[in-house]
Amino acid sequence: MATGRNSSGTRRRRSCWAAPGAAVKILLFYVIFYGCLAGIFIGTIQVMLLTVSEFEPKYQDRVAPPGLTQIPQVQKTEITFTASEAGSYEPYVRNLDNFLRDYSAEQQTENIVFQDCGDTPTEYKDRGPYNDAQGQKKVCKFRREWLENCSGLNDPSYGYKDGKPCILVKLNRIIGFKPQAPVNESLPPEVMAKYNPNLIPVHCVAKREEDADKIGAVEYYGMGGYPGFGLQYYPYYGKLLQPRYLQPLVAVQFTNLTYDMEVRVECRAYGQNIVYSDKDRFQGRFDIKFYIKSS
Amino acid sequence: VKELEIKYGTSATKGLSEAEAAARLQRDGPNALRPPRGTPGLVRFGRQLAGGLQCLMWVAAAICLIAYGVQRGQGDRGSSDNLYLAVALIAVVVVTGCFGYYQEFKSTNIIASFRNLVPQQATVVRAGQTLQVNAAELVLGDLVEIKGGDRVPADIRVLAAQGCKVDNSSLTGESEPQTRSPECTHESHLETRNIAFFSTMCLEGTATGLVIGTGERTVIGRIASLASGVGNEKTPIAVEIEHFVDIIAGLAVFFGATFFLVAMLIGYPLLRAAVFFMAIVVAYVPEGLLATVTVCLSLTAKRLARRNCVVKNLEAVETLGSTSVICSDKTGTLTQNRMAVAHLWLDGQVLAADTTEDQSGEAFEQRSASWPLLSQVITLCNRAQFQPGQEGVPVAQRDVIGDASESALLKFAEVTSGPVAAARGRFPKVAELPFNSSNKFQVSVHEAGPQQLLVLKGAPERVLERCRGYLREGEEHPLDPEWRRSLEGACLELGGRGERVLGFCARWLPPGSVAAGTPPEALAEVATGLCFAGLVSLIDPPRATVPQAVRKCRTAGIRVIMVTGDHPVTAKAIAAAVGIISEGSETPEDVATRLHLPLEQVDPRQARARVVTGSELAALAPGALEELLRTHPEMVFARTSPQQKLLIVESCQRLGAIVAVTGDGVNDSPALKKADIGVAMGIAGSDAAKQAADMILLDDNFASIVTGVEQGRLIFDNLKKSIAYTLTKNIPELAPYLVYITASVPLPLGCITILFIELCTDIFPSVSLAYERAESDIMHLRPRDPRRDRLVNEPLAAYSYFQIGVIQSLAGFTDYFVAMAQEGWWPLLVLGLRPRWEDAHEQELQDSYGQQWTFAQRRYQQYTCYTVFFISIEVCQIADVLIRKTRRLSLLQQGLFRYTWVCIGCFLCYCPGMPNVFNFMFQWWLVPMPFGLLILVYDEIRKLGVRRHPGKTHLGTPWIPGTHLGTPGPHLGTPGGTWNSPGTHLGTPGPHLGTPGTHLGTPGPLPPPLDSIPSPHPPQIKAQVTRPGVCRCLLLVERPKNPKRSPRNHQKVTKKRKTLNT
Repeated sequence: MATGRNSSGTRRRRSCWAAPGAAVKILLFYVIFYGCLAGIFIGTIQVMLLTVSEFEPKYQDRVAPPGLTQIPQVQKTEITFTASEAGSYEPYVRNLDNFLRDYSAEQQTENIVFQDCGDTPTEYKDRGPYNDAQGQKKVCKFRREWLENCSGLNDPSYGYKDGKPCILVKLNRIIGFKPQAPVNESLPPEVMAKYNPNLIPVHCVAKREEDADKIGAVEYYGMGGYPGFGLQYYPYYGKLLQPRYLQPLVAVQFTNLTYDMEVRVECRAYGQNIVYSDKDRFQGRFDIKFYIKSS
Repeated sequence: VKELEIKYGTSATKGLSEAEAAARLQRDGPNALRPPRGTPGLVRFGRQLAGGLQCLMWVAAAICLIAYGVQRGQGDRGSSDNLYLAVALIAVVVVTGCFGYYQEFKSTNIIASFRNLVPQQATVVRAGQTLQVNAAELVLGDLVEIKGGDRVPADIRVLAAQGCKVDNSSLTGESEPQTRSPECTHESHLETRNIAFFSTMCLEGTATGLVIGTGERTVIGRIASLASGVGNEKTPIAVEIEHFVDIIAGLAVFFGATFFLVAMLIGYPLLRAAVFFMAIVVAYVPEGLLATVTVCLSLTAKRLARRNCVVKNLEAVETLGSTSVICSDKTGTLTQNRMAVAHLWLDGQVLAADTTEDQSGEAFEQRSASWPLLSQVITLCNRAQFQPGQEGVPVAQRDVIGDASESALLKFAEVTSGPVAAARGRFPKVAELPFNSSNKFQVSVHEAGPQQLLVLKGAPERVLERCRGYLREGEEHPLDPEWRRSLEGACLELGGRGERVLGFCARWLPPGSVAAGTPPEALAEVATGLCFAGLVSLIDPPRATVPQAVRKCRTAGIRVIMVTGDHPVTAKAIAAAVGIISEGSETPEDVATRLHLPLEQVDPRQARARVVTGSELAALAPGALEELLRTHPEMVFARTSPQQKLLIVESCQRLGAIVAVTGDGVNDSPALKKADIGVAMGIAGSDAAKQAADMILLDDNFASIVTGVEQGRLIFDNLKKSIAYTLTKNIPELAPYLVYITASVPLPLGCITILFIELCTDIFPSVSLAYERAESDIMHLRPRDPRRDRLVNEPLAAYSYFQIGVIQSLAGFTDYFVAMAQEGWWPLLVLGLRPRWEDAHEQELQDSYGQQWTFAQRRYQQYTCYTVFFISIEVCQIADVLIRKTRRLSLLQQGLFRYTWVCIGCFLCYCPGMPNVFNFMFQWWLVPMPFGLLILVYDEIRKLGVRRHPGKTHLGTPWIPGTHLGTPGPHLGTPGGTWNSPGTHLGTPGPHLGTPGTHLGTPGPLPPPLDSIPSPHPPQIKAQVTRPGVCRCLLLVERPKNPKRSPRNHQKVTKKRKTLNT
C-alpha cells in the first residue's frame, strides 16, 4: 500500500490484474483474518463484561466524591431573566417542572417502591447486598411540599416572577456512597445553627467578598425544613435496584437579590467525605451567576 | 624559451618588472584558491525546518494554537491541552531541525583543506632581482626558483633544473618521485617533465621556471573547483527515508483531509474538524522515526569507529552496505605507498621477498652461495641511512634519509643481513658516484681489508654493459648468451609485474686502486669488467590484507575497480596481485599474446579483464565507457586524471550502481565527493581527500571497508526491523481517532500520549533493534538494488499496518472498554456518547449504573482511558519488539534474551513508573497481554510458515502475486538477489546450472530483463543476469567450490535466503 509510485508498485498492480485469483486470495485472507480478530475482540469484551457486576461498578475512584449540581440546568451556569417578562424565565421554570414531576406526591404512591423515611434526618438506610436476590430495593419518599415556596405547588413560577429565583440543589448519585455529616469546627455559623448529626447541610454565599451584601436573604427549604440532605436517602443502590430513586433536594431561594448586576453565588454541601477540588469546580460545590434585569 | 617569453611577455632571465607584476595581479587575481559561495546558514537552517513532515507538523501546531486561542476567546478555561500540544510539536520540529542542521554543518568547506597545501612564500625573480614574495602575489610569467623542501608555488614551466625531483603522488597517484627537467617529454601536460605543479613538494635539487598558471587556473585549482563544484549525492538511505516520509506525509494528509471532510459533512464546526485533522496528522506521522534512524546510524558509526572507520556523514554508514561498486585508488589504498623489495634474481632463479608491512611473511631462501656477495652489494651501494635514535623501532617503520628505492633496499638489507651500519663500518667508503639520470647507475668503492671492493647498481642493461662475468653458486663465470637470455627473461618478467628492476654487480680491486678523494666521474672508468651478482626488483607492494578483502567484496557481490594515476603496467600488476584481476582472467592484450594475433583482431569481449588508460579514456565516445564497464567485469583504469576519475564514477552511477570511492590524494577528491560514499585514508590521505570523503579509514586498510560493508548491510536490515516496529504503532494511534469521529466514543487516546509514545517510550526498543545480529550470512549476498529493495515495502507496511497494527488497536480498544465498563460505562452506552461526554456544562451525566458524573470527573476518566490505551500499545509493542528481532528465525532460535539491551530497554521504558503522569492499575496491564501473546504466536506461525515453505504463500504474509514462487535454487554464486527484500521479488534462482556450487544461477521469475548482459566468463555457461539496473555492471562472482557444504546445509541456506520476511 505504501509504494504507489515505484516500479514494484506498478508491478504489483499489473500482476494483480494479471492474476485476479491472487487478489481474491489476499482479500479472502484478510476477511478471515479480521473475522478471527473480531471474534477474539468481542469474545474478550464479553468475558470481561462477565467480571463486571450488573449492580455495582467495579471502581468508583473517578466518580467519587460526588459533584453538587443545581436545577435549572443552565448554560454557562448563569441565570438571567427579567422578573416582569414571563418569557425570559420560562425555560428555567419548565426545567424545574420537569425535574420535580418525579417528586410529586402522586408519583410516590406505590408502597412496594416507596418507603416513608420520616420528616427528620435519620441514619443511613442499608438495604442489603447489591444484587437482586431480594428483588428491587425500596426508595425513600421525598415530599415535594418540603420545598415550600420552591415546590412550584403554590407558585408555578418558582419565585421568578417576583425576582426571587429558586434553584434546587442536589448531590450527584453515586452507588453505595454514604456522605458523612460534617464535624463542627469547619462550618459557617449559619450552618451550625441548624446542625443535625444526620444532615448534609447546604449553604450558599456570595462567591466574592464584595458581593456579600448584594445577595440579600437566602431561604433554604429541605426535608422537614432542614437545609440539607438527610442521610436516610443514602446509600444509592443503582438504577437497576432503585430505578425510581429520588435524590434528596434542597431548594434555595434568593429573596432579595440586587437587580441589574451580576451576582455570583457559590453553594456548598458540607460533609466529612465531601471534598472540594480546584480542578473540578463542581465537586461538592458549584457556583452560579444571577443577573436579574429590573425591566 | 623564446616562445614562452613572448607568450607570457616576460624575460627568462630577469623576470617581470614590478609594475607589470602588479598589473597582472590586478588582472588575474591572487594566486590562491577561492572558496565557492555557499548558501547562508540561516537559509539552510530554514530548509531543515521546512521538510515535508515538518510542514505538516507546523500546520498541526498552528491548528492547535488557533484552537487554543479560540477556546480561550470563548472563555473556556477547561483545558490547555492544545497549547501543550502545539508547544510539543514545535519543539519536536525545531529539535529535529537543529540536529539536521548540525549534521549538515559538520561537512565543512572543502576549500579550506586545499589551503593548507598552498605554499606561503615563493622565491621570485623580478626585474633581475631575486626576492621573497607572498605566494599569493605570483602572477603569470613570473620567474620563480624552487629548491628541495619547497612547495611549488604555482604551475611552472621548468626552464632549468639540477636534479630536481617532485612528489606528485597526491596529484597523480604516482608513488615515485618524478624528475623535472626542461625537456618536453610528453604531450600531456600532466605527464611531461617540464612542468611542476602548484602545491607539489619539491624533494630535492633546484629548478627555475616560468609561472604558467596561478590560482584557479592551476591543475590543483581545477581539482579544487571540481571538487567543490560536485554536488553531494544524496545517500541511498536518505533517498529511502525521503521516499518513506513522502508516503507517510501523503497518507497523513490523505487521512486527515478525508476525516476533515467527513467531520464537516457530519456537521462539526470548522475548528473541530481542523482539530481532528491535526490529531490524525499527529497520530499518523512517526515523529520519533528520524531520531530512531539517526541513533541507529550513530550506534553503528560508533561501532565502526572502534574498527578504525571514522564516519563523517552518518548516513554514509548504510551507503557502504548498499555499495555495489568500489572504485579504489591504488597508491596508498591497495598498496603500502612505499617501495619495497619484491623479488630477487640470482643464480638464474626468481625469489620472492617478504613485502608485508610488518615483515610477517616468509623470508626467502638465503642458502645460495651467491647471496652473500649480492647482499653486500645491496648494503654498500646505498646512500640512504636510518635516522638516528630509532633502535627500538621495527625496521619497516624506521624513518630513512634517502630516496624511496634506496630506503627500500636499505631496509631490505637491514632485515635480511643484519645491521647495515656495522657492515658499512667494516667496509669504509673510499669514493662514490651517485645515481643520476644520464648514467642510470651508482658506484661506490670500499676498503675491504687487503682489497678494495667496487660495488655498482643501476638499470640492468647499463649494468650488464660493464660486466664481464656473472655469479653462479658463488663462483664467477664468464658471460654467455644463454645466461643473457635468462637475464633478459627475468628483467622482462619482473618489469611486466610493474616492478622496477635494478642490477647489482661488484668487483674486487687491488688495494689502493682508488684513492680517497678520487673525483666521482673517474669512477665510471674504473667500473668495468664487473661480476654480475643479481637483480633486485622493487615495487610499492600491496597491503597484505587487501587480497583477502577484495575476495570478500566479490563474495558480497561488490565489484572492485581500480582507478589510478599510475602506469598501466604497475596498475595491472597490482590489480592481479590483489585479485582485482582474478587469476585466469585475461585482458585483450593477453588474449592477443595467447592467440598470437594482433591486438586489433581480438574481440575485447572475449576478455574478462581490461586495463584502460587515461588517454584511451579520453578518446572514447560518450557512452562507450558504460559499455566497457558492462562488458568487462574486471576493470583497471590507469593514468587517469581527476576529471576522468569523476567520469568513471558517474558512469558507474549511471549504470545504477552505488559507488564507493577510496582514495587518498588530492586528485581523488572530486571523485570522492561525487561518489555515493567517499572513503579517504586516514594516515596517507591528504586533507582535501579527507574533507571530500564521507568516511575515513584510520588504519588506511582497505580491509576495513569490508567491515564497513558488513555493518552497513546489517544496519539496513536492522533499520528495517526498527521501522517495521515504529510503523506498527501508528495504527493503534490512529484508530482511536477514527473510532472517536465515526463511533463518537469518548476519545481513547490523546495527542500528548501519542507524542509520549513516539518520542519517549518507543525510542529505546526501536534503537535496541539496531543491535540485532545478522540472521544469515549477509556477506554472501549481493548488494541491495536501491530501486527494488526498499527500506519499507508493501508487504512490510501491510504486515505492520493491517495485521500487527490492527491486533494492537484491538488490544487497545479492549482495554479501553474494560476500563470504561469497570468505572460504570458499558460498551453500548459508550458508543455515541461523545457529544454529551464532552459537554463542559453537563455536570450530571449518568453512566450505566445511574451514577452521575461531573465534567471534570469524566475528563479524569478520559485520561485514564489514555493511560489504558497507552499501556495496551506498550504491552503489544513489547511483543512487537520481540517479534521484530527476527524476520525468519524463530525467537527461540535467535534467543529471546540474547541481548540484555533489548530487555533493559523494554523494561525501562515500559516499567510502570515511567508514565506516572497517568494513573496506573495493574489489571490494565493484564487485559492487553493476551493480545501481546497473540502477536507473538501469530508471528511465530508466520515465521514457521516462512521457514517451512520458503517463497510460498502462507498464512499471515501478504505475498506479491507472481513473484514469490520458485523452488530453492543453487545457493552458491548469485543468490538470486533476495537478501533483504521481503516479499517483493523473492526471485528464486531457477534451475541451477551445473552442480551446486558452480557458478551462476539465473534469477527466476523476475520481470523481463530490461537489459541483459552475457556473462563473459566462463563462456561455457550461458547465464544471463536478468535483473535490470545494478546487476548489469555487477561482476558475476565466480565463487570457489565449497565441498564442505552438505546438500542439507545447502538447502537450509537457500531457504533462509529465499524466504519471505518482513
